[in-house]
Amino acid sequence: MIDWLADPLAHGFTVRALIEISLLGLVSGAVGCWVVLFGISYSAESLAHGMFPGLVGAALLGLPLLVGGAAGIILAGLLIGLVGRLSGDSADTAIAVVVTSLFGLGVLLALSPESPPGIQALLFGDPLGVTEGQLIATALIGAAVLVVLRTGHDRFLAVGFDDAPGRIRGLSPALIQTLLLVLVAVTVLVGVQALGNLLVAAILVGPAAAARLLSSRMKSMILLSAGIAIFSGVAGLYLSFHARVAAGAAIVACLLAAYLLATLIARARTGITRMPPIRKEPADERASQLV
Amino acid sequence: MFEAFSLPFFQRGLFEILLLAVPCGLVGSWVVLRGLAFHSHAVGTATFPGLVLADGLGFAAALGAIGAAAAFTLLSVLIARSRRTGTDSVTALALAACLAGGVILASDVFNSGANVDTLLFGSLLAIDPGDLRLAAVVALIALGGSLLVGHHWLARGFDPGAARGLRSDSSLFDAALLAVVAITVVATLSAVGALLVSTLVVVPAATARLFTRRVLTLVCASVALVAVEGTFGLWLSVQTNAPPGATIAVTSGVAFGVALLARSRAVKRALRPLAMAAAVIALALLGTGCGTRSSGGDGPKVVATTTQVGDFVSEVGGEKVDLTTILKPNTDPHEYEPRPSDVQAVADADIIFRSGGHLDDWTDDLIKDSGSDATVVDLSQDLPVRLFGTGDHEHQGEDQTDDGEEFDPHWWQDPVNARFASARIESVLAAANPEEADYYRGRSRRFDNKITDLTDRTRTCIRRVPVGERKIVTDHDAFGYFTNRFGIETVGTVIPALTTEAQPSAGDLADLEKTIRSENVKAIFPEESVSPALSEALAKDTSASSDYSLYGDTLGPEGTPGESWLGSMKSNVNSIVAGMSGGRVTCFGGSGE
Repeated sequence: MIDWLADPLAHGFTVRALIEISLLGLVSGAVGCWVVLFGISYSAESLAHGMFPGLVGAALLGLPLLVGGAAGIILAGLLIGLVGRLSGDSADTAIAVVVTSLFGLGVLLALSPESPPGIQALLFGDPLGVTEGQLIATALIGAAVLVVLRTGHDRFLAVGFDDAPGRIRGLSPALIQTLLLVLVAVTVLVGVQALGNLLVAAILVGPAAAARLLSSRMKSMILLSAGIAIFSGVAGLYLSFHARVAAGAAIVACLLAAYLLATLIARARTGITRMPPIRKEPADERASQLV
Repeated sequence: MFEAFSLPFFQRGLFEILLLAVPCGLVGSWVVLRGLAFHSHAVGTATFPGLVLADGLGFAAALGAIGAAAAFTLLSVLIARSRRTGTDSVTALALAACLAGGVILASDVFNSGANVDTLLFGSLLAIDPGDLRLAAVVALIALGGSLLVGHHWLARGFDPGAARGLRSDSSLFDAALLAVVAITVVATLSAVGALLVSTLVVVPAATARLFTRRVLTLVCASVALVAVEGTFGLWLSVQTNAPPGATIAVTSGVAFGVALLARSRAVKRALRPLAMAAAVIALALLGTGCGTRSSGGDGPKVVATTTQVGDFVSEVGGEKVDLTTILKPNTDPHEYEPRPSDVQAVADADIIFRSGGHLDDWTDDLIKDSGSDATVVDLSQDLPVRLFGTGDHEHQGEDQTDDGEEFDPHWWQDPVNARFASARIESVLAAANPEEADYYRGRSRRFDNKITDLTDRTRTCIRRVPVGERKIVTDHDAFGYFTNRFGIETVGTVIPALTTEAQPSAGDLADLEKTIRSENVKAIFPEESVSPALSEALAKDTSASSDYSLYGDTLGPEGTPGESWLGSMKSNVNSIVAGMSGGRVTCFGGSGE
């Protein structure tokens, strides 16, 4: 048993992967709760493609790719917020419009012979290829994201639950939503670079959706979500090591298993006690706004 | 200006986009009204495991895509039954499940080749009759569904409470809507590819939605917008020689932006001229796309598919061929997207030289689509050295060449094959242009001498590395022919399969690390154009070097050592020998020479 736990720790790349997945699990566990509450999971999955023109632009201008990626992805987050506000349509539609247009622009820019091949993939990492620099970046940026979330907790809560008194206190819901999109964008950028796109989407949404089934208070939901993310991430890496399954996919499988377990627990609970009141879902809200 | 409309491949693309306008406009309206944009995007991406299965088990890719889309939709419906998870989270979870399944299938079960990605990159310039049929069928289904149960979809979207009164209270209706969206998306894959599906399915409907609140108007306007934006984008792509999918994406994105600004009252007066100016500038920028250049020589019109084949033809043909090479240096052959000038070049060609195997299997589509009657020469046929299987050589000798499934297509890494290809090109060119036969023969001889010289020098140089040290680790196994020729052992590869989606497992990587240590391998070779993250991480932990990169699937751009085949071979030999010997041995003075 001890060997089973200790063997992976003998390799540098697994140790770095374990640290990275724990750091990112903590951050995305927290950010993910807001993503789930605001109903913008689409952005977690797609923002990475929106940074494409930024990447190519940086390559053509000779700037570091990371700078271009950061500029592109933050621009995408801001544009989504703006389009969502101006069009009054659902966030999903805004995400689709912004991300596909930016991606198309990136493809056209990449036709330039100076742009390096496979540029999109150049910034997409694999959990087993994490570098020390990426660990430091994740720690620093993650800390900044958590500080912003902590500071703005009450405001996010007020807007997320469409709380009228909160609005009266002079908060612009559009601004809060855009701020959240930018936080998601930054998290996705760091995560995609270290872990790859598939994994980032899953770790942002899976643990938070699971925690939401088990908890009805935002703070406990955030803690639970971060815990699930870290535990599934570590379990996935051990699975990848011992059962020889592709690393990113193994972690995603563990995240999904955690979600399934949560649905079973939630179902078993309703048999004993009363189910906590169902929150108004953003999707329903949108539909009723349309009339 | 409108001569594009007379080109056959243009007409087929136009027909496809007009057919697709019906389901995309219809379904797009539902997608926008019901907030299903994420679902429509995710269905396209989630087809990946289906493509891997179709490739691994040998059935039609479209069937695999439809199967995976159905599985994804079913999964969404099942997860959605737990009411406390929002629909967008459900979609994200179902998508993650499908993609993770695809990655595991590709990396750990089938060792998939890169061809599993091809359906994810569609193009309006490579439409075949099957695509047109699928689009027509889907148009009928979308139309029928909207007419028969559209009012239920509407009622459930706007007011689930009232829907109960209208007998719309069945989640079956929602499932049907998700299914119709799914098949519409599958039909658009071959036109624009998975990442740009929303361009046709969401953006036009969202644009129309800005101006109308009535469903019928929305549907009609959306269908019209898809047709207009699609036609305009396709035409513009021919004018600017850009890929049509991306052109349509930017066109419809600009249209949406202009519509949004035009509608918003605050910016109406001040910004409207500005918005128009921005749109004009954006479209003008589109016009700066660059063309595929032909070499402009006089002689037969020749098309070469890959950069290596292009270099062989230019070595042999010199100024007496009019050569167009389709792949640009630095382009990953697996991510190739046809551009209008490519189709035109193929249509006009007298001779097409292709590299063969999965590296350029899109050539068949191009030839069919352009209606070309050129002589097609597949250089991978009848080569003196043919290896099978990527990585494991257990298939060696089995004759599975006919379906091309197991053939390792990187044949040019063996100089013996390069000499053979050069001779073959010479005889084909001489037959097509007998007056210049002597010219071709002379050039071919000279090239042959250079190859022989390179081979001899390489052999001498590798002999300076002790036998026990002739071991390398590469990240993809693209160098089987090279190592086979020069007696180098490939101890391992970092990435298990050729598709870009493949990932190694931590256990396999740990084993590779042990092997690198025990065999004392001094260098890991990342390939130019593949992300070096994994190789670097492994190199760091084993104190092997990952500083030497190799030219694998593509030659380098002009001005780099790898701009020609000879240069790329010299550069690879230098890197491999320096890497194996820990930098002690060098072969060719200066990397380019």
